[in-house]
Amino acid sequence: MFYLRGCGRWVAASFTKQQFPLVRLSSDSAAPRTPHFDVIVIGGGHAGTEAATAAARCGSRTLLLTHRVDTIGQMSCNPSFGGIGKGHLMREVDALDGLCSRICDQSGVHYKVLNRRKGPAVWGLRAQIDRKLYKQNMQKEILNTPLLTVQEGAVEDLILTEPEPEHTGKCRVSGVVLVDGSTVYAESVILTTGTFLRGMIVIGLEMHPAGRLGDQPSIGLAQTLEKLGFVVGRLKTGTPPRIAKDSINFSILNKQTPDNPSVPFSFTNETVWIKPEDQLPCYLTYTNPRVDEIVLNNLHLNSHVKETTRGPRYCPSIESKVLRFPNRLHQVWLEPEGMDSDLIYPQGLSMTLPTELQEKMITCIRGLEKAKVIQPGYGVQYDYLDPRQITPSLETHLVQRLFFAGQINGTTGYEEAAAQGVIAGINASLRVSRKPPFVVSRTEGYIGVLIDDLTTLGTSEPYRMFTSRVEFRLSLRPDNADIRLTLRGYKDAGCVSQQRYERACWMKSSLEEGISVLKSIEFSSSKWKNLIPEVSISTSRSLPVRALDVLKYEEVDMDSLAKAVPEPLKKYTKCRELAERLKIEATYESVLFHQLQEIKGVQQDEALQLPKDIDYLTIRDVSLSHEVREKLHFSRPQTIGAASRIPGVTPAAIINLLRFVKTTQQRQAAMNESPKTDQCLRNADRLQERQFLLSPATLPRRTSLTDTFLTLKPTLSPGRASLKASWCISTDFTSVVTLTGAKVTTIPGLRTPVSTRPTGTVPIPKNIYSILNTYEGR
Amino acid sequence: AVNKAEEPQNPPQLGHLAIIKPLVYLTLRLSLPDALIRLPSGSRLCTRRSSGAAAPGSGATIFALSSGQGRCGIAVIRTSGPSSGHALRILTAARDLPPARHASLRLLSDPRSGEPLDRALVLWFPGPRSFTGEDCVEFHVHGGPAVVSGVLQALGSVPGLRPAEAGEFTRRAFANGKLNLTEVEGLADLIHAETEAQRRQALRQLDGELGHLCRGWAETLTKALAHVEAYIDFGEDDNLEEGVLEQADIEVRALEVALGAHLRDARRGQRLRSGAHVVVTGPPNAGKSSLVNLLSRKPVSIVSPEPGTTRDVLETPVDLAGFPVLLSDTAGLREGVGPVEQEGVRRARESCNFLATVVASVGAQSPSDSSQRLLLVLNKSDLLSPEGPGPRPDLPPHLLLSCLTGEGLDGLLEALRKELAAVCGDPSTGSPLLTRARHQHHLQGCLDALSHYKPSKDLALAAEALRVARGHLTRLTGGGGTEEILDIIFRDFCVGK
Repeated sequence: MFYLRGCGRWVAASFTKQQFPLVRLSSDSAAPRTPHFDVIVIGGGHAGTEAATAAARCGSRTLLLTHRVDTIGQMSCNPSFGGIGKGHLMREVDALDGLCSRICDQSGVHYKVLNRRKGPAVWGLRAQIDRKLYKQNMQKEILNTPLLTVQEGAVEDLILTEPEPEHTGKCRVSGVVLVDGSTVYAESVILTTGTFLRGMIVIGLEMHPAGRLGDQPSIGLAQTLEKLGFVVGRLKTGTPPRIAKDSINFSILNKQTPDNPSVPFSFTNETVWIKPEDQLPCYLTYTNPRVDEIVLNNLHLNSHVKETTRGPRYCPSIESKVLRFPNRLHQVWLEPEGMDSDLIYPQGLSMTLPTELQEKMITCIRGLEKAKVIQPGYGVQYDYLDPRQITPSLETHLVQRLFFAGQINGTTGYEEAAAQGVIAGINASLRVSRKPPFVVSRTEGYIGVLIDDLTTLGTSEPYRMFTSRVEFRLSLRPDNADIRLTLRGYKDAGCVSQQRYERACWMKSSLEEGISVLKSIEFSSSKWKNLIPEVSISTSRSLPVRALDVLKYEEVDMDSLAKAVPEPLKKYTKCRELAERLKIEATYESVLFHQLQEIKGVQQDEALQLPKDIDYLTIRDVSLSHEVREKLHFSRPQTIGAASRIPGVTPAAIINLLRFVKTTQQRQAAMNESPKTDQCLRNADRLQERQFLLSPATLPRRTSLTDTFLTLKPTLSPGRASLKASWCISTDFTSVVTLTGAKVTTIPGLRTPVSTRPTGTVPIPKNIYSILNTYEGR
Repeated sequence: AVNKAEEPQNPPQLGHLAIIKPLVYLTLRLSLPDALIRLPSGSRLCTRRSSGAAAPGSGATIFALSSGQGRCGIAVIRTSGPSSGHALRILTAARDLPPARHASLRLLSDPRSGEPLDRALVLWFPGPRSFTGEDCVEFHVHGGPAVVSGVLQALGSVPGLRPAEAGEFTRRAFANGKLNLTEVEGLADLIHAETEAQRRQALRQLDGELGHLCRGWAETLTKALAHVEAYIDFGEDDNLEEGVLEQADIEVRALEVALGAHLRDARRGQRLRSGAHVVVTGPPNAGKSSLVNLLSRKPVSIVSPEPGTTRDVLETPVDLAGFPVLLSDTAGLREGVGPVEQEGVRRARESCNFLATVVASVGAQSPSDSSQRLLLVLNKSDLLSPEGPGPRPDLPPHLLLSCLTGEGLDGLLEALRKELAAVCGDPSTGSPLLTRARHQHHLQGCLDALSHYKPSKDLALAAEALRVARGHLTRLTGGGGTEEILDIIFRDFCVGK
């Protein structure tokens, strides 16, 4: 354990054998001993914990910074995980060896799969979770993760340095400054601040700054981000009041019992920690017209509902339900908060009325007549950063090596946060080891859809995962998340344990083998009818029918098929999971064949990368309309596929982009062929130019000149200095000149574009501004 | 060439004339090739699977008319994609492909009916040595709209083929490195122009009845899909109203019926290809054969003043006002003559397809069966004395004609053009062939997908069927994003926690 000068409390450090010194001296000899990590994760919520552990799994020395260690793994809203669409995300997080699914399997008190009768592609794994257990298990896991250190402390600012030449971005993050003024350095930083960025809690007409009830918001950090040029928006969300369990009359309410057997979230678990008969029930009650009346009569006391901050189109609070769908009975689920918790969470009753009215409203509801409100419901308003400012690897366009994950990107929900956390953690780590980013495509997973939607389309309401958002829903199922992601996670990211990888490999080959065996068994339909009498197969067709087609029938499963054809099918029934998954594969086989074609098309477009440093506003090699330029500039799509999904980007623009991509590829190929010495010279030249760009002399903001400069050279504007900038600058001097109709050589001290003279002998004069001023004056 | 002999002995009385004598019924009988009748869904699945086995996991194969629109000597139709070879074999009914990059003369026939379409030059370009880098086929067919439309529709019926989107060929060529950068300079403009033209075309069409229909269908389908999606995403957590699925089911079924009816009815392109049948029928010696000779501008039938000269059904293809028409001359309808003429009368009736009802319905005003259009033509108008009274006022709408003087021929041709345009579609408005192929392709695709919608089983599969169906419709009407679905869900239901 280390204690650092005023650095807050080091809670725990688990070391691997060889890597004992977690703290590295900064190369600056004058600097005091400053800790140095590969990855810093700010925030210990659902995104933060996943990010920190993912980075550590990838082999990065990671620091998790959080306000309070005892709130790590806190479920600050509903006491449940999963659901329709969200369960898919959890399976994918688990496939990448993330935490939340495994911890839910150890902490649930009521496991239920939703949509059981609607087809396995849309099954929604869900569980009520014991908050206390979840937090305990999560903290245990976090504190026992190798390479991961946890520290308490509030981050006030980011330490920024000059950008890496080979990447875009106007600067690079190299550490953080804590509230007490101490610093921690790192190669990558992940922000998972949730609702804490200028968070504001609203109850009735009262508002006070807080990230969560009882926690301080982050204001300094929000200001830093804004100063850096990030576009900030504001969202709101809410949570219902908590009710004392013993004050509810459950006997008159509908009881919902958990599934038997429970289906675990994690691929590595065959069962959950608790038997179905020991699990807790949920209860269902409904609102009534008196609830509507209270809401409508007290709108003037409810600033959260009145204000214009974007709320979602769906109904997060009882107020918006009543306002948008009056005269209806709305469901209220009474959910247990834990095994030994005295609280009940009334899902569906999220509200921001003044406290006394909350109690009044709740006691109108059947079963809650004598209910006691222990903690009032409240609304939270918070800053989020327009997610179009991040890449699909969740790194920001503006600041190199700065990653955002979770609610900060405008999402809502634990699962959405966890999914982004894993991806951010992996990529922060890959960035440190200079490996290519790990991006999940729309065709590979719900995670891909989530991140692609955010980064290309942005969001104006808290983004929640629905299965309807997913084009390839029949391929991206909860059952096959391991095949889709575990193998890639192992090979491309290194975030998956050997054991899990081997299990997924075994499952994949068994499935493939099973399917080909099922395809190879062919009998006439009448023979099938004899073998399996319950199957409703039509015997009129003369063509032979494959066993795989028979398995498609609802009434047939692997067991009945294996009974009919014991050899060679019997062995596939031994593993229950394998048998069930074969059945699912058979169900969707014919449709998946068609989806495969579409997926190919999407993947083809996604393979065409757009250059990262392309400046859409000024680039002349591509003919694009102004509107399209602005759209591309803001979203910065990374592939032709992503660009084509941005509304308003026309097919013609896409072709022009394609052409541009090809030209760039050719140019790059030519560059690579040029002799090495040339390259060195060029680098030296680059360095000089960069020094020029970053030297204080170039930074003063003289209005007229800066404005000129910014119009001519937007790469210098706040938020967009690319390395290309150093090259562009010379070229852009040309454009200075062309704009006024003169020639480059007419600027004293500057000759034709510097980039064409890689000898590096053309220094850019320090008095460039005065030269330009003179020039302008002419 | 009109060889009308002398008049009947007695100049006809007006009443007589009006009741039977010079009545010439022109019925435009619709000929619907059997192959267009939709296959049962089961058999459709089979063909899909077999095509799939040919080229698993590869991109779609596209086809389009590559030469200009309108009438021309030769039209070039291209395909590109993995199923090109398959399509070529199917259309030429050959087991083997022609030698690569050699022009070969082949008879193209419709894979569904086996009906010959055209004798055409075909060229087979196996990838990567082709324009797009994929397997390509070029069909150099005769340039008439009927032939082009026929080949396009035949291609559309091959599983795995779909009409190309704007600029798709060039885009594929580019993606496969077949065009250099200078060659592609103009591509964006081209695509822009094409999309613009398509947009305008779509706009023009969308003003019409069909566009209105399509939009309505797309709206219904989108709503039904949104409700099914809502049921999937929110059915268990939130309380949706009762009967959401049932309502969606009813709407989908209604849509299926409407689409089916439309597809059965709107086979105008098909008629344009095979030609509309025009049967000239009426009592003996009314001048039917004279009219046929007049319209075909050649002596097809022997004419004589003797009643019953024509004893058999004589068919001749003619171009009437730009429409291909199969004109049939028939024996005059009368009883009690020799066995040969009696057989001719029977054939005439048969060729008119329940002529009895047609005649009856003419008597009782316009025919209710829309597929049988009738023109009532009164011949020998030259026998009417100019100062005498006109034909009987209680006659249905009719045209006066004299085959002898040619008077009234223009009026008849104009009336025929109108009738034919109504049945075949008017080729002079826009370049409808491709659009029509697209329409039919997508509407049929939509209908096929809807037949897979079975909400009682796997709901995810059912929703997928609706998604595919909606995909087809929105390609005709535009729109179709996921956001649209979510908007409907959140508008219609109170969902979310």
